[in-house]
Amino acid sequence: MKSTLSVMMFSWEFPPRVIGGISPHVYFLSKSLAKNGVKVYVVTCDFPGAPAHEVIDGVEVYRVDSYRNPSPDFATWVYLMNVNMQREAASLVAKLAGKIDVFHAHDWLVANAGIGLKHVFRKPLLVTMHSTEVGRREGVHTDTERMIHETEAWLTYEAWRVICCSEYMVSHVKWAFGLPSDKLVMVPNGVNTHVYERIEQEDLRLFRSKFALPEEKLVLFVGRLVYEKGAHVLINAIPKVLAKVNAKFVVVGSGYMKEQLSNIVKSMRLEHKVLFTGFLDEEALLKLQKCADVSVVPSLFEPFGIVALEAMAAKSPVAVSDTGGLSEIVEHDVSGVKVYPNNPDSLAWGITKVLSDEKFRSSIRENAYRRVQEKYDWDKIAQQTKLVYEAVLGEYSKSFWA
Amino acid sequence: MRIILFSWEYPPRIIGKLAEYVSALASQLVRNKVDTHVVTYHDSLTGVVSEGNGVKVARVANPVRTHISVLTWVLTLNQEVERTAANVYYQAEKRISLIDVFDWHFIPAAVTLKNAFGVPFVYSVESLEDHRSPAPSSPFSMAIKSIEWLGFYEAAKITVKSEWMRGEIVRIHNVPAEKIRVVHIDSNSGVKDVLALYKAVAAGGLNSE
Repeated sequence: MKSTLSVMMFSWEFPPRVIGGISPHVYFLSKSLAKNGVKVYVVTCDFPGAPAHEVIDGVEVYRVDSYRNPSPDFATWVYLMNVNMQREAASLVAKLAGKIDVFHAHDWLVANAGIGLKHVFRKPLLVTMHSTEVGRREGVHTDTERMIHETEAWLTYEAWRVICCSEYMVSHVKWAFGLPSDKLVMVPNGVNTHVYERIEQEDLRLFRSKFALPEEKLVLFVGRLVYEKGAHVLINAIPKVLAKVNAKFVVVGSGYMKEQLSNIVKSMRLEHKVLFTGFLDEEALLKLQKCADVSVVPSLFEPFGIVALEAMAAKSPVAVSDTGGLSEIVEHDVSGVKVYPNNPDSLAWGITKVLSDEKFRSSIRENAYRRVQEKYDWDKIAQQTKLVYEAVLGEYSKSFWA
Repeated sequence: MRIILFSWEYPPRIIGKLAEYVSALASQLVRNKVDTHVVTYHDSLTGVVSEGNGVKVARVANPVRTHISVLTWVLTLNQEVERTAANVYYQAEKRISLIDVFDWHFIPAAVTLKNAFGVPFVYSVESLEDHRSPAPSSPFSMAIKSIEWLGFYEAAKITVKSEWMRGEIVRIHNVPAEKIRVVHIDSNSGVKDVLALYKAVAAGGLNSE
């Protein structure tokens, strides 16, 4: 009789600690795996007020001391945090008498913990590469970037399988680290449609009025305000959109470009048309996505494009750059509009097209929602992930480590 | 008795005094019928080498070539130290009496192995960051000191070469004085002291022989 498959996941973020897309990914993946009969342990960083150990829908979550002293820099902090993560995970596996079948790391941020424990306990390691340094920075330019790039290469070398969330990322990761094709596997990222159904019947007019006037269309950008997310492309497109449609541009998120972007808005005398909300809580974000007349994803580099998928799940029409994972998520003129990346004219055209045609808007909205339910359902993704684990364990059972 | 010594320098790679010291200790341990393994760093992979004196040396290379400081260099090297020590552990059918770690560099690996396998370790202190660093309170030095502290906290015993160093560890890191032993391996009785300490530590470990 085969015993339950058990996996230990490493992630530098897990709710309530939310920095980027890895946190919700690991949250929904681990919960859906648990629902599909996999025993999941998540080892992650601590967060003020969050317990050191809790069980969420069958998922055992352990939060470890994330090294809270001042650090020389971010990359050094990551390695220091991994010392603690590895130490606590090692003692956890020992307490479970080694009853972990696979280790699963998410990005280079937990490379050391995953690689170390693989060798110490002689269990297979899988990695999901959510992004790469060479993609984030459009090349490697400094020693820090090269070090991170080489750490990613080391992690993919040590991994039994490398999971990527889009076909684009499969080919990107294959190129970036020179990996053999049979080491890579595509399992899409998922989106939870249920959270939006909850607010389906709510009257959001009062909520909307906090962001835009009734006669203004609401154009929404959600993302970190960093170069690769392309918020600056959107801002450059604003005058061209306003020439045709009356709209309010709501920018949610923060990042190192925030001040620069708001200065550009000021110099363009568009303060009354652009609202920087900063980081919003989940509830407000859900509502805003529901209110949006168009959600814009103008990224220059996008491994997957979860924001577009969330907008589609919220039944908000989308205009995205035709790049990376976004190209695969959106079918042009069917489930959204695709525009040329890093091109404000093209982006303005896309936004205007969605905003000025009510019939088109509702057709792409319905098609997009159907697509999300068909392909990006967490339950299906968990089943695919479980199959990857089982395939790896089958190969592992024939190795001398077994 | 089977032990593993961790040292970031070992002949022919000599940085300071530690290389010769660990080498001398290792060969004396072999003479006292201890199965002695050394895990150290070398820029070219030579694998496990059985040297003339009976010491089994494994030299590991850093999987990450570019670094921004000795700290990041050390922290990515530790997984290779773990891998190599784990190989010794499994080949010896999980019978390792203890690990002796020289200075802070490979403390993270020793801590992981202790928590994973229950193999105790001794932390042998050659020098402290507080004495080496021109700015001991900088984030960089604090990080190294935090690794030293982790070593003092997790070690079964600490060895030093002088009463002065023993006092410094008590003063800087608040370590109980009785956890620290002064040992000299130059004198005739020296290695006997180390062996007695190893035996006591191994007997207290979960994996004693």
